[in-house]
Amino acid sequence: MTSRRLTRYLAAPAMASAALLVLAGCASGDSSPSGSGEPDAAAEIVIGSQNEPTNLDQIFGGSSGVTEVFTGNVYEGLFRITDDAEVEPLLADETEVSDDGLVYTFTLADAAFHSGDPLTADDVKYSLERFVGEESIAARKNQLKVIDSVEVVDDSTVAVTLTQPSISFTYNLGYVWIVNDEAGELTTTADGTGPYALADYRKGDSITLEVNDDYWGEAPANGGVVYQYYADPTALNNALLTGAVDLVTSQSNPDSLAEFESAGFQIIEGTSTTKELLGLNTRIAPFDDVAVRKALYSAIDREKLLDAIWDGRGELIGSMVPPSEPWYLDLADNNPYDPQLAEQLLADAGYADGFTFTVDTPDSGVHSTVAEFLKSELAKVGVTVEINIITDDEWYQKVYTDKNFEATLQGHVNDRDINFYGNPDFYWGYDNADVQTWLAESEAASTVEEQTELIAKANQQISDDAASVWLYLNPQLRIAAEGVTGVPENGLNSLFYVYDITKA
Amino acid sequence: MTILFVVLRVLGNPVFALISVGATDAEIAAAAARLGVDRPIWEQFLSYVGQLLSFDLGQSFTNHLNVGDEIVRRLNVTLPLTMLSFALSVLIAVPVGFFAAWKSRTWYGTAFSAVSQLGGAIPVFWVGILLVAVLSLGWRVFPAGGFPRTDWDDPGAALYALTLPVITIAIVAGSDLARYVRSATLDILGQQYLRAARATGQSFATALWRHGVRNGVVPLISILAIQLSTTFVGAVIIERVFALPGLGDMLLVGIKEQDFPSVQGVLLFSTALVLVLGFIADVLQRLIDPRLRDSLSGNRRVKAAA
Repeated sequence: MTSRRLTRYLAAPAMASAALLVLAGCASGDSSPSGSGEPDAAAEIVIGSQNEPTNLDQIFGGSSGVTEVFTGNVYEGLFRITDDAEVEPLLADETEVSDDGLVYTFTLADAAFHSGDPLTADDVKYSLERFVGEESIAARKNQLKVIDSVEVVDDSTVAVTLTQPSISFTYNLGYVWIVNDEAGELTTTADGTGPYALADYRKGDSITLEVNDDYWGEAPANGGVVYQYYADPTALNNALLTGAVDLVTSQSNPDSLAEFESAGFQIIEGTSTTKELLGLNTRIAPFDDVAVRKALYSAIDREKLLDAIWDGRGELIGSMVPPSEPWYLDLADNNPYDPQLAEQLLADAGYADGFTFTVDTPDSGVHSTVAEFLKSELAKVGVTVEINIITDDEWYQKVYTDKNFEATLQGHVNDRDINFYGNPDFYWGYDNADVQTWLAESEAASTVEEQTELIAKANQQISDDAASVWLYLNPQLRIAAEGVTGVPENGLNSLFYVYDITKA
Repeated sequence: MTILFVVLRVLGNPVFALISVGATDAEIAAAAARLGVDRPIWEQFLSYVGQLLSFDLGQSFTNHLNVGDEIVRRLNVTLPLTMLSFALSVLIAVPVGFFAAWKSRTWYGTAFSAVSQLGGAIPVFWVGILLVAVLSLGWRVFPAGGFPRTDWDDPGAALYALTLPVITIAIVAGSDLARYVRSATLDILGQQYLRAARATGQSFATALWRHGVRNGVVPLISILAIQLSTTFVGAVIIERVFALPGLGDMLLVGIKEQDFPSVQGVLLFSTALVLVLGFIADVLQRLIDPRLRDSLSGNRRVKAAA
């Protein structure tokens, strides 16, 4: 076939496509809302997410998905944690603390549940006891185990007695839902006091929230929200590109950012609390040696890693504490990237010829890419890394429960989780008596300043000890269509308040 | 089913899908007790069989929804998707296969069968991704995925959502089927009875209709039954690509969350479906072809004589 004939053969389909494109263009032009740019208070916001809750009850599953959709939106706590990680009162209208710091007396706001049942002290007692109760496998249960007893003073007053002073108590309460004590099974239904009520739950597909017209606080800026869930990241991106969703709560694949940016979408970058770290089993040689741990740290070019994984977004950290926490110290260069120093440290520790270790790498997320990177970096200083890919399940069994590992990769998502270094039984086995004392004392501190000072000391120490290799802090990336406003930036611990989101 | 039951339990612990970092050993044990997975496997199996006998597929470990109800809800998507894809694939395959056989000696007949070979060889998800790239992201004529939250309240919207997935599956399944239709037709065209019928003065079309179709359809029925099962499996895969909340999604999420009751329920249902389809195909074949009935009764006579 000559080239001219070929052109003729191709011309027809090309023209047909062009015609279709024009048609499609007209169609989308017609259906788009008025271009006034004024936010529409009645608009339903469709939120795309990959983080589908396993069920709807926060005490039956550590899924952060349920926090994302319900906390602050459908259920409210006695306190609210703002997007800037501050604690402010919510259902606790007034708080009184006894002099010894053991008894908290809360006066409740004049609120009601979606079912119409008014909020009473009984509901609070029920909710708190349920959260720390035997059945509960809530992610933050341990932090609230300081609760000794909950007492109903009168209908709108409740007193909580602690076993020991806990300065983070009100902060931790920010994650605990107050549920209706008469609600029954909450894994598939919901009854909270929030600005939205659960309208529809389609497992595997979506959760629809409708505006609660009788909300006791300020009315939301939108007409309801739908969380649309996608198991496949490509399907989620396609939904955003085709306008099926208005925003996505978290973008885990930076490769597609350029495409969204050029198509006029907003890229919203906040700080997350997710730390990618190489956990070292410090119970065993050679990781029981500080010099070896510091050597590994200095052998890894984390800047390059962050560039490769997150396209330069995100942050380098030198400890477990992200900048959003009060006891943050800039420790990014505490264990600097310096291969020569690494070699020196290894030689001093008696490993001039290097050594070999296995890193158990979960098969989820970016871990295997990170593992490959570490392998090539550490090879340069004579350390051989063997990568052992395991499932998340195996990780929980082998690493977390049995502590049968040398090194592992993990993304630790929680805020204020430096406390793990105060527990020598934790999977990495870091055991420093000073750190344990400081962290324990910090919780019993009487002022925030005192607490901050003590945790900062622990923070410095774990960094000096290179207790783990903190590789980087993930960025919190959200993508929203043009005209969408009020999207929370930081999303601490998957918190995602939707009441300020509007679209034009 | 027994094997599946054991394998699921050997491979993973559902508790780990529920807990988060920070959980104590006591909490892990309590969660396992609540799910009942701390009991010996044989005990779990017996109680599962007991449940099945009372037509109860159990409750999901993770969301506590009734597995049976959930399967029925998911069939709202998977069943229409399967049936429409199957119907479309037959609509594609029969003329294409027939034409390819009829014109098998011409270049375009060969081209037809080559294209159908190719279509059958492409993975179904790949076709889906291509169609999304062109028709959804490029031309914006179809949605890239999802299903109306109102289910079938608005049949138009539901059908619109299923259009691309149906086309995707039909392309692959139809190409597969076209090859069978082609070989079945070639078979018939070469048969003596067709020539004999032509010799009695019947036109080619009449002869084919009277004798060929009836003969050709019998082997096709079992192929169609197999094809319907394959379409069902294809639907399960394609649900992922198009974010459709059907049985496939339930199965994959169930596996991810170690939700044994859901995984067992979906697989039990699918197995039963395939068996039922096979059975229906058998019955149909016997109704159409008297020879099959004869052979069956013939066997009986032989047995009786022995």
